[in-house]
Amino acid sequence: MASRRRMLLKVIILGDSGVGKTSLMNQYVNRKFSNQYKATIGADFLTKEVQFDDRLFTLQIWDTAGQERFQSLGVAFYRGADCCVLVHDVNVMKSFDNLNNWREEFLIQASPSDPENFPFVVLGNKVDVDGGNSRVVSEKKAKAWCASKGNIPYFETSAKEGFNVDAAFECIARNALKNEPEEEIYLPETIDVASGGRPQRSTGCEC
Amino acid sequence: MQEAELHDLSDDADYAASQQEGSASMMRCYSSKLSTSSETEGAEIVYLKDNVAIHPTQYAFERISGRLKLIKQGSALFMTWIPYKRQSTNAKLSEKDRNLYTIRAVPFADVRSIRRHTPALGWQYIIVVLSSGRNRLAFPPLYFYNGGVREFLTTIKQHVFLVRSVEDTNVFLLNDFQNPLQRTLSSLELPRAVSIPSMPSTPALPRESTSHENQERTDVGISDVSASIPQYNGKRRQKFHDPARDISIQVLEKFSFVTKFARETTSQLFRESHGNGFRPLERRKSNQSDDYSHKPSDDAEGVAVQSPVAPDPVEVYVCSLCQLIALCNNASAHLSMESVLGHGPTGTWFSTSIPGNLMPTSILVEQKVPYREHNRDGEAATNVGTFELISYKEFDKLSLVWGKPRQPPLGLEEWATFLDSEGRVVDSKALRKRIFYGGIEHKLRKEVWAILLGYHTYESTYAERKHQRSIKKTEYETIKSQWQSISPAQAKRFTKFRERKGLIEKDVVRTDRSLSFYDGDDNPNVNLLRDILLTYSFYNFDLGYCQGMSDLLSPILFVMEDESESFWCFVALMECLGPNFNRDQSGMHSQLFALSKLVELLDNPLHNYFKQNDCLNYFFCFRWMLIQFKRELEYEKTMRLWEVLWTHYLSEHLHLYVGVAILKRYRGKIIGEQMDFDTLIRFINELSGRIDLDATLRDAEALCICAGEKGADCIPPGTPPSMPVDNGLLYSQQDEVL
Repeated sequence: MASRRRMLLKVIILGDSGVGKTSLMNQYVNRKFSNQYKATIGADFLTKEVQFDDRLFTLQIWDTAGQERFQSLGVAFYRGADCCVLVHDVNVMKSFDNLNNWREEFLIQASPSDPENFPFVVLGNKVDVDGGNSRVVSEKKAKAWCASKGNIPYFETSAKEGFNVDAAFECIARNALKNEPEEEIYLPETIDVASGGRPQRSTGCEC
Repeated sequence: MQEAELHDLSDDADYAASQQEGSASMMRCYSSKLSTSSETEGAEIVYLKDNVAIHPTQYAFERISGRLKLIKQGSALFMTWIPYKRQSTNAKLSEKDRNLYTIRAVPFADVRSIRRHTPALGWQYIIVVLSSGRNRLAFPPLYFYNGGVREFLTTIKQHVFLVRSVEDTNVFLLNDFQNPLQRTLSSLELPRAVSIPSMPSTPALPRESTSHENQERTDVGISDVSASIPQYNGKRRQKFHDPARDISIQVLEKFSFVTKFARETTSQLFRESHGNGFRPLERRKSNQSDDYSHKPSDDAEGVAVQSPVAPDPVEVYVCSLCQLIALCNNASAHLSMESVLGHGPTGTWFSTSIPGNLMPTSILVEQKVPYREHNRDGEAATNVGTFELISYKEFDKLSLVWGKPRQPPLGLEEWATFLDSEGRVVDSKALRKRIFYGGIEHKLRKEVWAILLGYHTYESTYAERKHQRSIKKTEYETIKSQWQSISPAQAKRFTKFRERKGLIEKDVVRTDRSLSFYDGDDNPNVNLLRDILLTYSFYNFDLGYCQGMSDLLSPILFVMEDESESFWCFVALMECLGPNFNRDQSGMHSQLFALSKLVELLDNPLHNYFKQNDCLNYFFCFRWMLIQFKRELEYEKTMRLWEVLWTHYLSEHLHLYVGVAILKRYRGKIIGEQMDFDTLIRFINELSGRIDLDATLRDAEALCICAGEKGADCIPPGTPPSMPVDNGLLYSQQDEVL
């Protein structure tokens, strides 16, 4: 048991170019923010150890290129994902409108075994910008969309200020964990999901 | 021969050709039946479809059409796809391409799944995925120009167990349907992956046939089967029976052994080197001013002292062997490897005695295993022959080991010697060679890049260049004014423009901002990046803007320091690299595919490792290819690499060999640490900033020479930066968004 490798939870961050995917990931993992992240090319990931109920997990967070033109690459990176994070910029309507595309594209390319219940989490990022005055996507609107897609948990975040980032990722990790029992076969000792009970996706995230 | 002689590019002609071909081949087959039928006992064609094509490039008109067949022999079902022979033709798609893509008798036992695609526009196509190993190698999409996908699948179902995937009705699984949920074919497979022409894993066909099958057998089938199955027909092989080629193949096959042998020995010796009196072979010496000339102060410190990136003696060895192969390929066909490598008088050097010598200097053939002082005259037996271990002193005098030493960059005075009195480059090849080996001093780049990139021609005079600059400046301003004149009210109604502009603005503010040239608030150079990219997106509206372009433009603007000049140099660069940004990613896929084929050729064990670990899509090299290592190297080194690449001196695809060189350099770590796909991506991304460019270039040069024609054969036609075929529409893709 001790020699078992830690259970890996794979999370994919998707969303339009410039909504702050890289920043969210770095804020969560490294507690850093920079104005100078380069546009992501291809894909990269960071890992972070997380602990739930005395058990350690490795959260592997994949950051991808935001330009739609690179979507076809997704297949290589999406497979085996346990949770998908959809990010939009609350100041850019188009980035919100595109969430549906990102979600559908993900489901097509990752082809999860149970697409109906695959866990997504939506983040409305950059709530700090201009004191909220330039905001165009209201919380209500975002939540309505999330509700229509099977009660996707929704968080408003600021990667720049670190606002709500931890809470969002904790929810992400817990949802990823709920998805994980599919893989039990490979890691018999780590199945212990008793703590959370069988996942009930429709309830969203309790965190 | 067996394949039709006819081909044409238009659909109708295709069809006509196939009709003719059908009857023609039937006659041919009939007449050849007697001579070949004994070899093909029991084979029957159960399905035959003409005008099934593959698209080796993004352009449908460049397709290679052929005949798809299902052949039943005994209880086994095989698939073949043989391209038609062409008469008139597009020179770009040569015989070698057709050979590259030909599918020869793949048994369905090796097929994992077939995916059917029915695009809204265009032809139905299928992707056949092989199950061998875990590599998920797929054949390129087969487009059914005359329909017949359904019939194809139905026929298969009659002969082998085929099930429809539970989760995707367009996926049909064979052989491992036990767990269809996990085994679904995704489009993860490299769309352009192609079988290795000589399917080594193809088992011999069963020869027995049943009476039932005999009933169904057709006369047409019999000899066609023999044509398609190399195991049964020596003719196809004879075509390749070139002794020199065979030698190199044999040697390449033996690489793995030698490499392994050498590696094991070296690593063992390195481990034991401390205080043991072992000393790695000293390479280089002499007067090179490169950064490797730290002289080992202490023998015991071994290789680590020799160079910042510990040179891998095995690589060195392999490369000298490669060079030898290149020589053999180029030399008299009857040259025997044994005589070259084996028991010569001293057995250590080959140079001008071999005709067709590719290398300007001598070729070192040596056993690159660190030697013991007391054993310096010993021999080392390897699978390819017996080598004399050369002595330290002897070795000391020599310079060439793997690639030539890098030279200092081309300076102003030397540049002048390449020009005539009016400013024309007299010998462009000599210039390109010079830059290939040394690059260009920074202050000279402005002048030379414009020529290397093709903005100015080598033949242009000072006056002509000056004239062109002024004309092009006006032209640039005209294009720029197109978007500048868009009023806010107009922009409101011009979503595509707003989005494109927005994307560009997002990217320029995060492009090389740590460089003083681009740093700080309201940096005018950042605005220039934006203006040039926006103007380019109007100049090439079909391609538009794509992430990565700002990375490609940044060094150009930094060097040219002029808006219009930078624009036109960027335009020239994009002529070659534009396909990297195609919506269908075809340019990227062909490069990643070529990379995988080159690794297979040049480092088979590494290839096998990638294959076993499901890494054959090479997506971990995506960033390398998309922006030509821009994110992997320091700024200055990026410029150096680019000017070397732009010389197209040894190959226009040197960047692929650079990729192979880096992978080879870290192969020990990759394999030793058993990196999986994820780890590999992380590892490769983290190599950024830690790549020794000069050493890598030397490796790449040697690998390129080593691979020779075989290497070129690995690279599909039209792979960037090869110029795309000019059909009037450079970017005909449907680009709905940006």
